[in-house]
Amino acid sequence: MSTIRYDKIRTVETGFNSAALNMAIDEALIESVSEVPILRIYGWRPAAVSIGYFQSMNEEVDVPKCREVGVDIVRRLTGGGAVLHENELTYSFISRRYPQNIVESYKWICDAIVISINRLGFDASFVPLNDIVIAGKKVSGNAQTRRKGVLLQHGTILLDVNVNKMFSVLKVPSEKLRGKIIKDVKERVTSLAGTTYDDMATSLKTSFAVKFEAKLIADTLSIEEISRARWLTERKYSNKEWNFRR
Amino acid sequence: MRKAHNIYKSEKLIRIMLEYDEIKNTISSITISGDFFLYPEEALEILEANLVGKRLEKETLKQEIDNFLKGIEVYGFNSTSLTEAIVGCRT
Repeated sequence: MSTIRYDKIRTVETGFNSAALNMAIDEALIESVSEVPILRIYGWRPAAVSIGYFQSMNEEVDVPKCREVGVDIVRRLTGGGAVLHENELTYSFISRRYPQNIVESYKWICDAIVISINRLGFDASFVPLNDIVIAGKKVSGNAQTRRKGVLLQHGTILLDVNVNKMFSVLKVPSEKLRGKIIKDVKERVTSLAGTTYDDMATSLKTSFAVKFEAKLIADTLSIEEISRARWLTERKYSNKEWNFRR
Repeated sequence: MRKAHNIYKSEKLIRIMLEYDEIKNTISSITISGDFFLYPEEALEILEANLVGKRLEKETLKQEIDNFLKGIEVYGFNSTSLTEAIVGCRT
């Protein structure tokens, strides 16, 4: 197991933003991160569906329905499945130093997430490759990418869950099985109901400091990071070429 | 030229969009999508390009995919399941 420790972690709380800007900020931070890793905490407004890097937007998402109900859509830089982002806290952890083994690196970061959830009175645990569960039900999904020597892992921590709404905007492989799929997901997913976004954010920051024995440095995005994120929003994450590339 | 589509449940869901030459039995174009993880991500496009022109038969495809996966980390499928997913487009 990794013994990597950090002296400092830069924490950046970027509030609630559109899907395109949220993914653009993540990419901007991959480019700008120094030897000091970054813990970013954020939410989504409006609600949004993100799909995995390898997914097909039209196969996974009811795009007209999303437009009708005002749900953003975006393709992530990371693999994994489609997610409806609403009533959750999302984090990103970006670092130049990390375990090279992929399974180990997921555990390394997810351990901090588990600690943060359990500090709030829950009994969560990590399930490889990338899930965190409570009583066998998923409460957090996580995904990572590695680019130019930088690891980014982002993930959601569900504060509430509305499976019916999720499947009003996500397609299912078989309409015949829609009812069964929704029932299955309801049985496999849970949330930290009763926990506020602010409580979760505070617990998350504390837990990263404890896990990595690091001092937290509260910060904001730099002018250069904001500028780069805006450029990426306009030129990449808002564009069909990116979002519908598969 | 014939278009085909297949959804295959491995550890993760694999979706194949395929165009193939029925007479030569070769792949004309292929898109592999799904909720899997693959590092580095850009490598999938290289695999898709490498599969174009290959015969649509298990042995050929599995060998090509095995070679590709040597330098790649994948979570959610393996060469056997991806081969099945592609060949399954014909049935």
